[in-house]
Amino acid sequence: MKIETVDADVLCIGGGIAGLMAAIRASELGARVVVVEKGSIGYSGAARMGNDHFWAYVPEAHGPDMRAFIKECMLTQLGPMCSTLSSRVVDTWMERSLEIVKLWEEWGIEMKYQGQWEFAGHSFPGHAMTHLKYSGHNQNIVLLDEARKRGAVAMDRVMAFELLGGAGRVTGALGIDTREDRLVEFQARSVILCTGSTRRLFLGVTPALIGNDTRPFTLTGDGRAMAYRLGAELVGMEMLARHVGNRYFVRSGQGTWIGVFRDPYGRPLGPYVAEPSRRYGDITPEVDKSLFARVMESGGGPVYMDCSGISDEDYEYMRHWLVQEGSAPLLNHLSEEGIDPRKHPIEFMSYNFASIGYIRCNEKGETSVRGLYSAGDESTFGISGAAIFGWVAAENAAAYVGESAAPAFDGENARTEEKKRLIETLQNRMDGTDWKDANIALQQVMSDYAGPVRSAPMLEAGLSHVRRLREKARNTLRAENRWELTRCVEVLNLYDLAELVFVAALERRESRGFHQRADYRMTDPLLNDQVLIVRNVDGKPTATWREKER
Amino acid sequence: MPPVIDLNECIGCGKCVDVCSEDVFFGTKDFGKSIEHKPVVTYPEVCWHCNLCVKACPVAGAIRLRIPLAMSVAYKDGPLGNS
Ligand code: SF4
Ligand code: SF4
Repeated sequence: MKIETVDADVLCIGGGIAGLMAAIRASELGARVVVVEKGSIGYSGAARMGNDHFWAYVPEAHGPDMRAFIKECMLTQLGPMCSTLSSRVVDTWMERSLEIVKLWEEWGIEMKYQGQWEFAGHSFPGHAMTHLKYSGHNQNIVLLDEARKRGAVAMDRVMAFELLGGAGRVTGALGIDTREDRLVEFQARSVILCTGSTRRLFLGVTPALIGNDTRPFTLTGDGRAMAYRLGAELVGMEMLARHVGNRYFVRSGQGTWIGVFRDPYGRPLGPYVAEPSRRYGDITPEVDKSLFARVMESGGGPVYMDCSGISDEDYEYMRHWLVQEGSAPLLNHLSEEGIDPRKHPIEFMSYNFASIGYIRCNEKGETSVRGLYSAGDESTFGISGAAIFGWVAAENAAAYVGESAAPAFDGENARTEEKKRLIETLQNRMDGTDWKDANIALQQVMSDYAGPVRSAPMLEAGLSHVRRLREKARNTLRAENRWELTRCVEVLNLYDLAELVFVAALERRESRGFHQRADYRMTDPLLNDQVLIVRNVDGKPTATWREKER
Repeated sequence: MPPVIDLNECIGCGKCVDVCSEDVFFGTKDFGKSIEHKPVVTYPEVCWHCNLCVKACPVAGAIRLRIPLAMSVAYKDGPLGNS
């Protein structure tokens, strides 16, 4: 296998919103930037189909009190998703949101509706509106163009899978070409991880259709796994999240629907709206993402999104935003099947649990490893977080590159050689486990032992099983071609993350959110301001409590 | 299972192969870089149904998504409250 060396000041790993924003900003600050993407850049990541909601603090709409705005945001789904972030991170996010919104508008992503700021959906009636509506259908392509204009180099179809460095500092990364027989050694002064969320750790809605998910199949938490192995701190690995959406065409975008969630008798499930509201949507499932699952499990379902009574104008408005949001394939399916949401109430459900642990970052996007930054769904949440922290992390990475001495690459050869051998072994085994078997084995044990019901004996049993499976996977995985090789490397990353989920879940001896311990049923108020950090100490995952920074 | 290509219509331009991040069309000869090499659907079960391959295709009707039965939307054929 040939090894190619690529040199950069700033290496952005992942070419979605965060990676492209980072590439744009670091390039315009004078850094030599490479952005590496395992899929097709401009057409990759969770946002590639579009989006229509952006958390943005716009003083002319919200008034001068940013605290009040943040408080309102925390009542929505942002609250639980951001419970491990310091308030300085959240402040930076909101302080800089309007600046980014204006840049996007300038670049050709429509951030206004009919010439005005438009806020709608995801809101409590009578409260401040936190979600800016925007037309995100072209966002990835627009950002890719801007990155290229500034001289960033985009490298497609290469999966970065291991960071290089040591002694608390990053010096580059290794990547495999997902189509050809090639290993790429990136020598970089700074690395910004932007690999998105972690899928395929828990079973999905349709286990046999592993791609039927709210996020694409290729998002496997690679950044978290790489960061962990190099020694960076992860946070909240024990926590779970779930989305709500229509049954069974798994999609995000629930907040774009205009209607009321009702039971079969037509009774609203939540207290917020009784008639369709274009302004507010129906925020009920965001308050309790498991509500629809409980209603169904207790025989009170199905749960419907009822759009009956909606005006023609509002119906067109909803369809417009569903297209911007990336739900055009769903709308096509509805029309092919003759389903008209105004006449045919559509079933909604609580989707399966997924892992949400983050790479721990400060308000500069810095991790605990020097030169290593992170942005996007692996350290915050949603498009707005990805855009803003991609930008912020790049500013700090570029400054770091300017100030720090060039790293020495001596001693990296051993790591490159070791990983090269791993890749060759996966490719050359004549007989063995395929990636899918290894992936499903992992998903079933995660769902059974580290899902919404947990206890020490269950977590310990699950952890032992995962460790045994990982050992077997390492010794038997086999790739038929480069596509399968990429999957094998992803699955090995997922096994590393699985171990961290168990270790952290064992350490959190309380119940909180979706982490429910049968042996510790209470929520411990003494842990309200603590975060649980997981770190690699001499090859062993170690969980420690730490006071949450202000 | 998705996507479905009409080989009579397809001109083998490779655009769908280029945009798919999941590389559902992996194994297409030279990845569609030659006009002769029409896409093959190798890994349909990982498709995200994102429609980007359909949008990228220059020939109307050459490629479409077939939604698996397992993903069919569940709905009620009439108003609520009359069960
Ligand atoms: S719909 Fe999306 S994931 Fe499926 S084949 Fe087309 S581009 Fe790939
Ligand atoms: S984009 Fe359309 S015409 Fe081009 S190879 Fe794909 S299906 Fe054929």
